Amino acid sequence: MMNLKDILSPFSAWRNLLKEPVTIKDPLTERPGAPRYRGFHKNDIEKCIGCGTCETICENEAIDLVAVANVDTKNGDSGLRPLVDYGRCCWCALCVDVCTTGSLTMSNEYTWVSNDPEDFRYIPGVDKKEWDNNDLGWKKPDYTLIPTERMDMEEMEPSEREGTFLEIVRGYSRAQAEKEADRCTECGLCVATCPAHMDIPGYIRAVREGDMEEGLRLLYETNPLPEICGRVCTHRCEEVCAVGHSGDPLAIRWLKRYIADQVPFEEYKRILGITSIEENGKKVGIIGAGPSGLSAAYYLRIRGFEVTIYEAKSKGGGMTMYGIPKYRLPMNMLESEIGFLEEIGVKFVYETRVGEDISFDEIYKKHDAVFVGIGFEKPYKINIKGEEQKGALQAISFLDDINKGKKVDIGKKVAIVGGGNVAMDAARVARRLGAEVYMLYRRRVEDMPADSEEIHGAYEEGVQIIPQTIPVEIIGEGGKVKSIQYLMAEMVPDEKGGRPKPVPIEGSEQVLEIDTLIGAIGQEADYGFLPQEYLDKIETNRGRMLVDNNNKTTLDKVYAGGDAVNKTADAISAIADGHRAADAIERMLLV
Amino acid sequence: MENFNSPQEIINFAIQSEQEAHDFYIELAGLVKFNELKVILEQFAAEELGHKTKLSKIVVDTEKTGLTAESVLDMKMADYTVDIQTKPDMTYQDLLTIAMKKEKKAFKLYTDLAQKITDQNIKEIFLGLAQEEAKHKLRFEIEYDEYILRDN
Ligand SMILES: Cc1cc2nc3c(=O)[nH]c(=O)nc-3n(C[C@H](O)[C@H](O)[C@H](O)COP(=O)(O)OP(=O)(O)OC[C@H]3O[C@@H](n4cnc5c(N)ncnc54)[C@H](O)[C@@H]3O)c2cc1C
Ligand code: SF4
Ligand code: SF4
Repeated sequence: MMNLKDILSPFSAWRNLLKEPVTIKDPLTERPGAPRYRGFHKNDIEKCIGCGTCETICENEAIDLVAVANVDTKNGDSGLRPLVDYGRCCWCALCVDVCTTGSLTMSNEYTWVSNDPEDFRYIPGVDKKEWDNNDLGWKKPDYTLIPTERMDMEEMEPSEREGTFLEIVRGYSRAQAEKEADRCTECGLCVATCPAHMDIPGYIRAVREGDMEEGLRLLYETNPLPEICGRVCTHRCEEVCAVGHSGDPLAIRWLKRYIADQVPFEEYKRILGITSIEENGKKVGIIGAGPSGLSAAYYLRIRGFEVTIYEAKSKGGGMTMYGIPKYRLPMNMLESEIGFLEEIGVKFVYETRVGEDISFDEIYKKHDAVFVGIGFEKPYKINIKGEEQKGALQAISFLDDINKGKKVDIGKKVAIVGGGNVAMDAARVARRLGAEVYMLYRRRVEDMPADSEEIHGAYEEGVQIIPQTIPVEIIGEGGKVKSIQYLMAEMVPDEKGGRPKPVPIEGSEQVLEIDTLIGAIGQEADYGFLPQEYLDKIETNRGRMLVDNNNKTTLDKVYAGGDAVNKTADAISAIADGHRAADAIERMLLV
Repeated sequence: MENFNSPQEIINFAIQSEQEAHDFYIELAGLVKFNELKVILEQFAAEELGHKTKLSKIVVDTEKTGLTAESVLDMKMADYTVDIQTKPDMTYQDLLTIAMKKEKKAFKLYTDLAQKITDQNIKEIFLGLAQEEAKHKLRFEIEYDEYILRDN
């Protein structure tokens, strides 16, 4: 029922028409905006990463990302900053609400007089304004437009892992993958950080749109081993993901794996459009079927090169086949990906060690170009007394044996020396074989070079990490390892800012009874296959081959990549090296 | 060796040792197969010459030699690593081990000599020389720590 007031009020409002406006009557008194008023933009330039999500969301195209002085492009920061145009802005504050870092805010200032229209286009935080230090105004609200939590990945319970090498991670369902993909803002910051510069926002969009064929095509543009990378990639992209600034970063690696898992290998040729290859008559020889060699082989083969890979072992994949344990990367994934390369015509010559079964000279002379992807196969010794005894193993050969299905008797108690990913793999494998496992590491847990998820996995599975320990002697009995003696270390800060230095504490000797000792302190390349006249021409730096921007070595027509070249020493860097070398070989031989 | 009659004789002895170390590295450089290691060994040799020059500049007839007995970090790696046989296919790890052990030996020689000597002036020179060797050893230990023990 309408009452009388409702009927009269529109008429009584008219009397305000005759009143003088308060701003004219009293022009000098400041009237602050409401505390949460959406006034002019402010931006914390240090916090902003130039992801451009504010620009993307703005319906009025009032924001442009522009280069600014004194802000450099670096990993996870485009170096650009938003410029706001008040000729277009409608003060909806969506840009503030979506800002991935929370750097963009609005002050509650609402008056601004200037005769120069150009003034109203400015870069908040860079072009200084009087409201820059104004605390009041609109901030990113507590709720968020981008869900902060990552879609959980189902994993095998730690208690179920002993005695089995079944894969731990189960993979996303379609609904899970699409929901996770929905969190991506498509800013593309991750692309620059990925060593292979994969089109991450592109393939995440394909997941969101349910277009797996497009997803696979995008993956293969820069990475012919997505099943491998979707499982074990070091995912440096996730470290810079814009969404990670106010929540969990996108599960980029799991989304890649999701795409690769959806498409059957039989469909690859059709989807990737490799139904027939026009031969170009040039031959490339590849030494080593690790990720770098396989990647070079793929990109060369699809461009019509005759590609032959010489591999010492009986299967391809390099360290991803013989080093990485199967609970992280099942064998069939590798075999299928390598099988696809065979299908498109890459020739594999297995069980052929260059330098022994065939000379480097022959390979060099037979091919128009050579790619060397020999990896880091030779482990460093721990270099202490007693290492030659039975029961003192190297992680690389231990993992190799296990991956080949050999039985290795490690006894009941095992010590691993080292703190990198290889050490973690050896420790977690030893746990699966039922041993009590101790990990001796010279520095603190926080200094470990291993990935944090590997350290977490090791703890979960019951590996006991003893940090700040320096092994000094392996004590044996009858030529067999019996115990390891170590000293406790104190950490001395490095004056030059490097890693703190472990220094043994006098009189802190400890002895740990063990059945097996596994060394995992690092590896190096084995150049034994190169005759002296070639060796003299290949320049190296601390054991790594020196290459130019095209991955070309200092030896004519020889290219190289992977662990024997790059310092990052992971699968994706090896893949990127192989791709770069393939591009360069094509330019050298065909253009 | 302990019969040094003057500070100058000690310094001469130290100079001679640096020269010998230089010659040793040059000889090794001729032995190894790998170009980069040859270059590294030549660098080691050059560093020994540098030490020699530094010692030659010491003026011993004044009270002070300029060598100070400040303490140098000892990572003790040279203590527990095993001895390395020199051979053509030596690795960088082998070279660093040889080098730090050599510096350790020189350090020990000078500290032992210092202990046996009563003349305060000469004792200080020995201690100063010992510290120089400790610094050289630390340089190799840090290199070993950074490049060989990457994963440890
Ligand atoms: C235990 C372990 C775990 C790892 N975990 C991960 C991980 O989780 N994520 C990740 O990204 N990376 C991981 N890595 C590193 C990754 O496997 C390597 O970076 C990558 O495999 C390097 O590729 P590559 O092409 O250089 O050669 P490699 O994979 O090292 O392969 C080199 C190949 O060359 C062959 N070869 C060598 N010399 C000759 C010769 N003279 N003649 C013929 N063939 C020869 C070898 O048999 C081998 O197959 C791991 C490595 C190890 C050892
Ligand atoms: S959304 Fe935030 S972090 Fe990204 S560019 Fe805009 S202001 Fe900077
Ligand atoms: S995955 Fe993260 S960094 Fe990459 S495009 Fe999406 S939001 Fe940006």
